[in-house]
Amino acid sequence: MEFGTIEREIFVEASPEVVFEVVSSPSHLQQWWPDEAHYEPVAGSKGDIVFGQHGNDAAMVAFTVVEARPPRTFSFRWTHPAEEPAVPGNSLFVTFDLTPSGNGTLLKMTESGFREMGWDIALLEQQYNDHVTGWDYYLPRLVSYAATARVQQ
Amino acid sequence: MTAAVLDRIDDDLWSAIGDPTRRRMVDLLLADGGGTATTLSDQLPVTQQAVAKHLAVLDRVALVRVTPIGREKRYRVDEAQLARAVTQLTAVGSAWDARLQRIKRIAESIQQTKKH
Repeated sequence: MEFGTIEREIFVEASPEVVFEVVSSPSHLQQWWPDEAHYEPVAGSKGDIVFGQHGNDAAMVAFTVVEARPPRTFSFRWTHPAEEPAVPGNSLFVTFDLTPSGNGTLLKMTESGFREMGWDIALLEQQYNDHVTGWDYYLPRLVSYAATARVQQ
Repeated sequence: MTAAVLDRIDDDLWSAIGDPTRRRMVDLLLADGGGTATTLSDQLPVTQQAVAKHLAVLDRVALVRVTPIGREKRYRVDEAQLARAVTQLTAVGSAWDARLQRIKRIAESIQQTKKH
């Protein structure tokens, strides 16, 4: 295991076009990660993602799109100081690579930059979730998934 | 896991464990219950001097504990410190596992809707 990088691979039974949309569009990002996402899904776009509802507890994190090549690659940097450009050393770098495979898509995710940055900032979201009671955070999301599932049947 | 514990893991610990040779050394020390620069260099394709340098890095971040035996030093892994480093990596990894599962569910439900 390489301790400076996290790598994951998952098979998704959906076309690369659909998967690309889910990993790159701000409205979908909000469904699987932050509570709010503000950026354009095009290379160079600078924005932010927000964890937590509006108010004192919300944490805003800088987010910069590095590459957007539908339906193959979407990558971004996050956690850099908002006033600085995102570069290696001040941010974590996340890449989604999509490969057509059978009746779906092989989605590969890598996140790197931990060794250069240290741990503290990488765990911002983790720490945030630790502060929020698990059920308060996940129950509303589970309910919305259950609703989606019912619509399909 | 609390923020206080996380704060104690610094960049140095991260880079100490980031090196493949040092990780192999930590594995060997764990498997053998400890070792010296000599016993480690016997099992690794690096010189004893290189092993000594790597051990010094591990010592600096408290990943190993040192006991002098005669003219040599015996090293063993500080399991609490190793556990702290591993816990952090696991936390970030499992956060991504959960996100990817959500990505999968969302994409597959969109795909299903398109078929109907």
